[in-house]
Amino acid sequence: MFQINTLSAAIASTLVLAAASASAVEVKYSLWDSNQLPAYQACAADFTKKNPAITIKFQQTGWDGYWSGLSTNMVSGTAPDVFTDHLAKFPEFAKNQQLLDLTPYIQKDKLDTTIYATGLYENWGRGGKQYALPKDWDTIGLIVNMDAAKKAGVTLADLQAMTWNPKDGGTFEQIVRKLTVDAAGNNALSPKFDKKSVAVYGYQNPGTGGMSGQTTWSGFAVSDGFKYQDKPWDAKLYYDSPKLAETLTYLAGLPGKGLSATYENTKTLGSDAMFVGRKVAIVPQGSWMVSYFKDNAKFEHAWVPLPTGPNGTRATMFNGLGDSIWAGSKVKDQAWQWVKYLGSADCQNTVATYGVVFPAVKGTAEKAIEAQKKKGVDSSAFLTMSKSTTFLTPMVDNTSEIEETISGALESVLMGRGDAASTMKTANAKANELAKN
Amino acid sequence: MQTTVSTLPPPRVASPPKPHALSVTRRAETLTAWALILPALIGFLLFYAWPTLRAIQISFTDWNLLRAPKFVGLANYAHMLEDGKFWQGMKLSLYYVLLNIPMQTALGLFLAVAMDRLSRSLFVKSVVLLPYLLSNVLVAMMWLWMLDPVLGWVNSVIASVGLERQPFFGGAEEALLTVAAVNIWRHMGLVAMLFLAGLQNIPRHLYEAASLEGASEWQMFWRITLPLLRPVMVFVLVTSVTGSFQIFDTIAVTTNGGPLDSTRVIVHYIVQNAFSFYKMGYASAMSMALCLVMLAYTMLQMRILRASENDLA
Amino acid sequence: MSTLTTNIPGMHRRSAFTPGRVFAWAILALMLGITLMPLWVVIKTALTHPNDLFTHSTDLLPSSATLLNFKRVLGLMTPQESLALGGSGAEINFLRALGNSVLFTAIIVAMQISSAAMSAYAFARLRFPGRNALFACFIGSMMVPSVVTFIPNFILIKELGWLNTMAGMVAPFCLMQGFSIFFLRQFFLSIPHDLEEAALLDGASHLYIFARVVLPLSVTPLATIAMLTGINMWNEFFWPYLVAKDEVQQVLPVALQSFKSQTPQGQPDWTGLMAAAAITVLPTIVLLVGFGRRVVESVQFSGGK
Repeated sequence: MFQINTLSAAIASTLVLAAASASAVEVKYSLWDSNQLPAYQACAADFTKKNPAITIKFQQTGWDGYWSGLSTNMVSGTAPDVFTDHLAKFPEFAKNQQLLDLTPYIQKDKLDTTIYATGLYENWGRGGKQYALPKDWDTIGLIVNMDAAKKAGVTLADLQAMTWNPKDGGTFEQIVRKLTVDAAGNNALSPKFDKKSVAVYGYQNPGTGGMSGQTTWSGFAVSDGFKYQDKPWDAKLYYDSPKLAETLTYLAGLPGKGLSATYENTKTLGSDAMFVGRKVAIVPQGSWMVSYFKDNAKFEHAWVPLPTGPNGTRATMFNGLGDSIWAGSKVKDQAWQWVKYLGSADCQNTVATYGVVFPAVKGTAEKAIEAQKKKGVDSSAFLTMSKSTTFLTPMVDNTSEIEETISGALESVLMGRGDAASTMKTANAKANELAKN
Repeated sequence: MQTTVSTLPPPRVASPPKPHALSVTRRAETLTAWALILPALIGFLLFYAWPTLRAIQISFTDWNLLRAPKFVGLANYAHMLEDGKFWQGMKLSLYYVLLNIPMQTALGLFLAVAMDRLSRSLFVKSVVLLPYLLSNVLVAMMWLWMLDPVLGWVNSVIASVGLERQPFFGGAEEALLTVAAVNIWRHMGLVAMLFLAGLQNIPRHLYEAASLEGASEWQMFWRITLPLLRPVMVFVLVTSVTGSFQIFDTIAVTTNGGPLDSTRVIVHYIVQNAFSFYKMGYASAMSMALCLVMLAYTMLQMRILRASENDLA
Repeated sequence: MSTLTTNIPGMHRRSAFTPGRVFAWAILALMLGITLMPLWVVIKTALTHPNDLFTHSTDLLPSSATLLNFKRVLGLMTPQESLALGGSGAEINFLRALGNSVLFTAIIVAMQISSAAMSAYAFARLRFPGRNALFACFIGSMMVPSVVTFIPNFILIKELGWLNTMAGMVAPFCLMQGFSIFFLRQFFLSIPHDLEEAALLDGASHLYIFARVVLPLSVTPLATIAMLTGINMWNEFFWPYLVAKDEVQQVLPVALQSFKSQTPQGQPDWTGLMAAAAITVLPTIVLLVGFGRRVVESVQFSGGK
């Protein structure tokens, strides 16, 4: 358990310190993904060997409570010194002056910022200030139950060549139909298909996905020509785009065709659990979930790229996490040492060997894929996606309230309560207002 | 109520207070009184009085706790009056009270009558009271699991008899009802115990006399039981309505205001504004509005309370 | 409580199986079932292996009972093992949360009852300028919804530097609670004056009368208020959640909620959650088994006066 790991790390460093007779400084570091914890603890152990005067204390809080806990701690003055940051969340922190500008440290240490995959470093800068060092990147793919695929006569090649359009769903829908099976064994292509008693669904949309739609609608919409904004930080948003509306209409229509379970019935359960429980054959997910499915889906499964859209390309959100320093930290110099190490090739190579995420430094992602292959998982689909059309999460101010507005509208559409075009138009107007604040 | 006589110290020589010494004893009394009240007074001033004043002050500002507050006058109140979600929150809270209280009181009464007639066992009483002893969070999680559309036990029973699975917490129409049902589950035992105590205070000879005159059970219930239960009924209603209007815990754990804002009761909306959006000023303004509503309601309750007390005499 | 044998209204003990009686038993049995069923489902789920969750969700008995989930949740497994079982790697430090809850409840009950008893006596028996106005203020505090004071109190606690401390958690509750004062004052008002007057004539001070005469007579209502306050504070969620989310200070309800939100994917780890829930119910069950009579009486006393 990580408490014991931290305890042993602390004991080890204390012994070293006794020899060094210097007082150890503790840097508090928080993250949300428990899957990634072992990898970063290994980094921390290496780091403390090289810097015996600094120990790292880990705090892992699940996604649900991570950001609210962080905000409360910032308010109370007890935020962690370093924390895993997210592109969608850092604008608000920066605006509230909670993030330390790393530029002076980067310049003083003459850090080479070109070692990271293209564009990642710049994402974390705004107005001449740098708010984090890149940590990793991720793309979205589809995970397929290959047992079910084989039974339905769907090959890996078929899956890798899927096309999609919002009108008839393209070959994507054809395959989904083959994989949707009712209680009597008929698939959704057969005239005898009974959509009231479906045993296995072909595809499950994970939910609203919020204003980014990262794993839900963004890939489809962008491959149809949608864009969130003209450029990052623009306060003019395009959630009223007809391309988004037709994408949402398509996704919202799947339960009606019997190809997906209804939104209401799967909100708490989630598409991942459904996949693991063999209730659905294909779900979209991000590259950070590779180990989760490896551990939990006890049947043959494969990762394939998202289908090619109407504009001829595959599209995926290209997201990346970063490590930021809290502006109120009392151990800024030590925190910087840790952040510098986290952003270094050394640490990221170590992380790559754990095969949980694709670290940001160039070349480490391939190592991660190798590590995953050794565990029996082929995650090259994500690399394919990273070389297709990629786009960033929308970067705008006042994300909490915009998130609330857009999520509500999306939920309304997915529950069949409102038609996509008008619902999103109203929501977009409100979002544009909020973005200007 | 039993009074036990405690042994008094041996009597000293009596010296009745002289008239002009009254002011001395009165001063001593006042001093003693203030000394006794001091802790509660400190608590009251620090954590009730001053915060209420401060809440009013904050409601005139725009403040997110990380930057200095900005004075905005009545802007928050103006915005509140135009905010659809604020009115919706009030409406939902009221609707929730109407869903929750009558059913909870009726079921509690029913249960109390059944227990009164059938069983005085401590086991039954303990089981009945158990849900109230569990925290709201725990109860919410239990029911979140029981009512899950795919994995929950309740839906599997529903599906096995051929009916359609219900989304419960996930459905926009059903969510508030489900929250009400869960709270009824938690509180009906408590209500039952309170009524049971009241029932047991009703003198039996009233019933015996009535049945000798040929009254049916139903008549006895209406003519004897209910009227004599009025004080308990009033107590139950007053406490449960005020509590119910401020529901938060269950919603925070199960639906978090959704789906489609169908459970975004006023307290939840206020908390969301305060601790998710960090709009302290706006949240304070809305809490002031809620305060006024509750005060008005309590005044009304007091009127009715006084009226019913006259009734009993 | 007297147990009368012929007290059932309208029932002449002819037969034990009149339709009314059967109906009443049926209702009672149904209510008991509805009360106990969810608890049983919690236990059954806690004993189910995570892999069996989908296939055996409808069964009434765990398909193959396992203590794995309890081990996971109490931190007796490494995070890797826990993750491999489909859990979130999270654990609930039950003993620490339990300790925090006990401390939190004990501090508040002790302080609040003392302070309430003292002020209630002053309001009931002593005359001093401003008495009625002050009492009205205290009672008025009951009418102010708690959400009004939460925000300023949160800010106050933050300014005192008491966020994430036990002091911060108990502060708003420990000195003053309108209901306790009101309840105790009603009781003190109803005590006959004779004993106190006799003591006064003997020259006893008011404090003496309070401590040696009135308090011993008030054991039952004091126990009642202590019990009710204790139950409410044991289950208090919102304020501790706001003020002390840190693992070290969490009380049980907060620990449970925090556990629920630990999964990185955001979907609940049901078997683990139910195991955690089962563990949190334990103290309450122990209380009922040990002190059931007292609890029941306290609850009834509070409403039946």
